[in-house]
Amino acid sequence: MPCLILIFSFIQRVEGQEKEITAGIRLQKTHNLYFENGITADFTSSKLWDQRLHLGVSYVTSRLGTALGSNAIKQDNYLATIQYNFRRTKIINPIVRLNGGFFHANLESPLFDDLPNNSALCSLEGGITLNLKVPVRPSLSFGYNLITGDGLSGPGTLFPLFYQLSISYKIL
Amino acid sequence: MKKIFSFFIIVIGVFAILLQSCNKEPDIDKSTMIDGGALPDPSIAHPEKYLVSYAYPTPTQLQLLSPVVIAVHGYSATTWEWDEFRHWSDSVGHFMTSQVLLGGHGRSYEEFKKANWHDWQKPILDEFNRLKNLGYKNISVIGSSTAGPLILNLIYTGAFSTGNMPNQVIFVDPIIIASSKLLSLVNIVGPVISYTETSLDPKEMGHYYQYRPQESLNELQDLLNITRKKLEDGIQLPTGLNLTVYKSLKDPSADPYSAVLLYKGISTSGGEKPDIRMVDSDLHVFTNLQGRKAYSAKDKALQIKTFREIDLIISPGFLKR
Repeated sequence: MPCLILIFSFIQRVEGQEKEITAGIRLQKTHNLYFENGITADFTSSKLWDQRLHLGVSYVTSRLGTALGSNAIKQDNYLATIQYNFRRTKIINPIVRLNGGFFHANLESPLFDDLPNNSALCSLEGGITLNLKVPVRPSLSFGYNLITGDGLSGPGTLFPLFYQLSISYKIL
Repeated sequence: MKKIFSFFIIVIGVFAILLQSCNKEPDIDKSTMIDGGALPDPSIAHPEKYLVSYAYPTPTQLQLLSPVVIAVHGYSATTWEWDEFRHWSDSVGHFMTSQVLLGGHGRSYEEFKKANWHDWQKPILDEFNRLKNLGYKNISVIGSSTAGPLILNLIYTGAFSTGNMPNQVIFVDPIIIASSKLLSLVNIVGPVISYTETSLDPKEMGHYYQYRPQESLNELQDLLNITRKKLEDGIQLPTGLNLTVYKSLKDPSADPYSAVLLYKGISTSGGEKPDIRMVDSDLHVFTNLQGRKAYSAKDKALQIKTFREIDLIISPGFLKR
């Protein structure tokens, strides 16, 4: 929530510039683990390297993925993102992202109170986004979590490799 | 044109480097490593010293009524992993211990590389069926680490047929999620790395494989994925089978979240949760202390306390004697 407040206050300050806000869904699969799906929003402006730099927030959760109707662990990922677009005006636009955020797993039983279930998130992503004539922004990327569980510290279901597909709609 | 030519040269160069690194063979010292094939697990030459079915092929009525526990070791280990438990249980004398060697284990790097997880699993069922056919009435199974998903698979696939189940199943540090998250990448990087090397304490040499071929690591990851997905769908234990799980709070091999997945994914025939016991340890398979470079008095006390609890689970009748 503090991230959202920060980003929206920033948007207010760049009022009057050429800007773009998109919002949509993010579908994410961790390699050899869960589907975690959720929502994503992205902002850019002409003042941000001529719209090459994007700021975003995402929330993905196994509650809307593998844990929906199954015994998988319910876990939440809150992400703030900085994205760089290499070929902003081309249809196929390579991107890199740096994500930071917070991870929480709900272990449900007091038996597991001594296990770590919260962690910082830090990941790198690389992929492409498509600049279509319609106001829809699909984006496909691979990501690597730099912080994972190791059995001694960190949540055990925080795995390294993930891939995601976002489909956002230009709302401004 | 020049750019395209340069690009192809780079691609060919990268492929050449990858091909060179593929199919590497480890440098095995046959005199100290089980991987070399010259130091096979002793249960291969002398099954009668390890397996109850071989030790007592014509059991007495008293033996048939006595509890037997089949003790199964984990990935890359040997029967040695349950030696301390066997010695302790023999000294107590409440039940007999049958130490099973997993398929592909305790032999050689090549045998390890060739074996799939069904091969690892087969000797568990073989010993169980031999004991049942001999007439043993009270059989339990205890498994450490990878033996957990192997035994669980035998339960939910119905391999232990109805009315022919073990009475008690006990897991010690079962693995559903590996602590090293790099294992999840083995199907991508495996062909390039060919194998991984484990660091063993000097006294552990000759009891664990030092090298783990990528083929075998892929088998392990497959087994873990299959088990995790089955747990997500839910596993109900058959009537009369009780499950107890011991799990270290910190574990460098089997992530403690493995216990969470077992808790969430398994229910007893009466709809209850299995008996999960989280223990204050940072050792993997905390019941095996021999050969470790260092362990504390607290580790030893926990080991003996757990042996006593297991004794009560397997042979509760001895309380009354």
